[in-house]
Amino acid sequence: MEQSKQLIGIKEYIAIVLLMVGTKVTDNTPSILFEYIKNAGWMAPIINGLITIIPIYLLIKVFTNYKGKSLVEVSDHLFGKFFSFIILLTILLVAFVAVIVDTAIYTDIIGTMYFTKTPTIIIYGILMLVCAYGATRGFEQIGSVAWTVFPYLQVSLFLALILTIGQGNAAFLFPILGDGAWDVVKESSLRLSIYADFLYLFLFYPYIKSVKVFKKGTWLALMFIIINISITMVCYIFLFDYKTIMQLNYPYHEVIRTISLGFIINMEAFFLPFWLIASFVRFSIYLYINAILLGHLFKIKHFEYLIPSLATLVVFIGMIPENPTFIIFDIKEKLLLIATPLFFLLPFLMWLIAKLKGEFKHANKRDIR
Amino acid sequence: MLIKEILGKFILIPALLLILSGCWDQQEVEELTFVIAIGIDKVEDNENSVRITYLISNPEAGSSAQSGGSQEPPREIISFVADDFISSRNMANTVIAKQITYDLLRMIIISEDFARDENFIRWIYDATKSMEIKRDIKLLVTKEETATFFQNNKPLLETRPHEYFEKILATGNEMGNIPESQLYQFFRITEADADLFLGIYGTTIKDENSQSGENPQQITAGEFDFQGESNVTEFLGSAVFKEAKMIDTLTIEETRIAILLNPSLKPGYFIGTIPDPFDEKYRIAFRMDNASPLEFNMKLTSGTPTIDVTVPLLLEVLSNHSMTDYHKDKEKRNKLKESIEDNLNNKFNDFVKKTQEEYKSEPFGWSLLARKKFSTISDWEDFDWMKTYPDMKINVTAQVKLGKFGRQSDLPRIEEIRD
Repeated sequence: MEQSKQLIGIKEYIAIVLLMVGTKVTDNTPSILFEYIKNAGWMAPIINGLITIIPIYLLIKVFTNYKGKSLVEVSDHLFGKFFSFIILLTILLVAFVAVIVDTAIYTDIIGTMYFTKTPTIIIYGILMLVCAYGATRGFEQIGSVAWTVFPYLQVSLFLALILTIGQGNAAFLFPILGDGAWDVVKESSLRLSIYADFLYLFLFYPYIKSVKVFKKGTWLALMFIIINISITMVCYIFLFDYKTIMQLNYPYHEVIRTISLGFIINMEAFFLPFWLIASFVRFSIYLYINAILLGHLFKIKHFEYLIPSLATLVVFIGMIPENPTFIIFDIKEKLLLIATPLFFLLPFLMWLIAKLKGEFKHANKRDIR
Repeated sequence: MLIKEILGKFILIPALLLILSGCWDQQEVEELTFVIAIGIDKVEDNENSVRITYLISNPEAGSSAQSGGSQEPPREIISFVADDFISSRNMANTVIAKQITYDLLRMIIISEDFARDENFIRWIYDATKSMEIKRDIKLLVTKEETATFFQNNKPLLETRPHEYFEKILATGNEMGNIPESQLYQFFRITEADADLFLGIYGTTIKDENSQSGENPQQITAGEFDFQGESNVTEFLGSAVFKEAKMIDTLTIEETRIAILLNPSLKPGYFIGTIPDPFDEKYRIAFRMDNASPLEFNMKLTSGTPTIDVTVPLLLEVLSNHSMTDYHKDKEKRNKLKESIEDNLNNKFNDFVKKTQEEYKSEPFGWSLLARKKFSTISDWEDFDWMKTYPDMKINVTAQVKLGKFGRQSDLPRIEEIRD
């Protein structure tokens, strides 16, 4: 499967980013935020979003210097072969652990909330099978699928939110500052890596139609994501109040089980398929990212062939913890903390080195390697 | 190539269909037994077990899909001792042929005896563990054992139990006879540890000593005295829960006040009566409705905390037994208005005082408004609403607007007729 050279446009790009990052609001990421920031948890996506502007701005600044080069190539150029290998390996490890942790959590959601009797390995296997298939189709295909399904997903989320607001109570947002303003900022910024996916987006830099599309798409996507995640989290508080929500594992799934539309009381059957499709797209992209990095690090040209084996590996590693609700949650919390400095400092480092090397002074049309 | 593609699709689509059915979790509706309500009772000499009662609905009974001449009853009741209401499912299947599911569970019913028990909280939280139980189901409290309650409850017309309960609870809530009482509200209020939760109170056992005719507003379940040929079940008033333990019951009037004074609830049309200011012998019936949102003025942080509540009400006068001439006389209308306001103010403030003195907390959800006055959770927790509430200075004022005086607003003068 050779990569087609058809580049993707702004719609597909934004859809991909929204599905990659925005879907996080439906797993246990909000629970982690609520647990530490209590009822001000909904501010975390906004605060983090504002902080995220800095690394993204720096990265875009660096990348506009190198036309058509992705994160791996730029990193090789800036850090030199040896250091670049180490940095990229770290990024790969984080990405790989993230895939394992998140797929394990999604499997747990499906297993505990919907298909209680189905063995975990079957759910996990089917989930990864679909995602691996999606990933092998290539980035352009994922993009067009993402754009096709995106409007439906957004509409279904909005329907859920409207119903939630109708049945909720705005007074639950108060006391507005949670544990106090400083605590909110501190605890949120420690978990900045909820947006770490943006770093990985720079792997796709050469696939995007133009620099302008990439820039505009990234900023727009960031804005949409901030709005989406924080409004959804506000709605969770509206329905449950902070004491309850701190104890829920998967707030989105509790929400869609609680709300009802007139006489239709089992709404979750309606929302589940949309959520599943979003998860498939999300993990297809994740697998693809892993394959790109792995392919580059070990000089494997046709990295698409790695995806099935990667997916298999994910299933087997993800199956190891016998109690996903506790162990995986714990790993995810730690991963969020560990990935934060990486996500924040790497762009700084890249920008600094580029600056010291005097890259910005040269003409934009320079060619590396 | 084309053939290969078509063939590929033909193989792929059935393969996908196989996945769709859910394999292990495949359930045939025909092979399930739907539990509509679970009753939980205390077992006398065993603290670690509970008596579980299932009310099982027969989906075929009474529907047009009923196969010719089937005489199956609309419901089935089974009651037994179990460790909890999760594991009890398997035990019930020793008697019941089809697999038991909580997919359509709409109510959890607790006997008063169990609700007043310290350990009640341990069992009710099982509902958050099971994946089938939804959070918007109702929580009911019965005066008697729930098994007795289910057996006595024989609705004559709406014989299908799911239909009966849905209808009677919705109507009762609309009329203000019973509170809303959803399970997730129970959990929320218990966890927030500031307010009181009101559960629906019901019974099938009539209180023989009660004379509801004397004061129809001051009764709770079992005290409504009626004759005739109908179901014996009454849903009336509410069960008060404090920190997940039942502490008291509210009468129909108190339940209405609790709903009226709660800013987050939308009261239906409440009908009540007050003594006629022009002739104490008679009572005036009126229908009230919140005219606009409640107004609150809270001063919590400095000195003695005070709360001023204004309740704007729109009243429709429905009866006029003293046959007073309101139509022409503005003075009389004002007097009526004042006397209604006085009467309501007394009732509101008496009830608030009762909650302060007896319950030491309130069922009005006011703590949610109070939270707005604090900027951080630690400030709010230090304030300790439940501890401060009994000492607060609270003043509730009704602001009555007189609406219509019935369909025909004027009546003949009794003096003119009997002259």
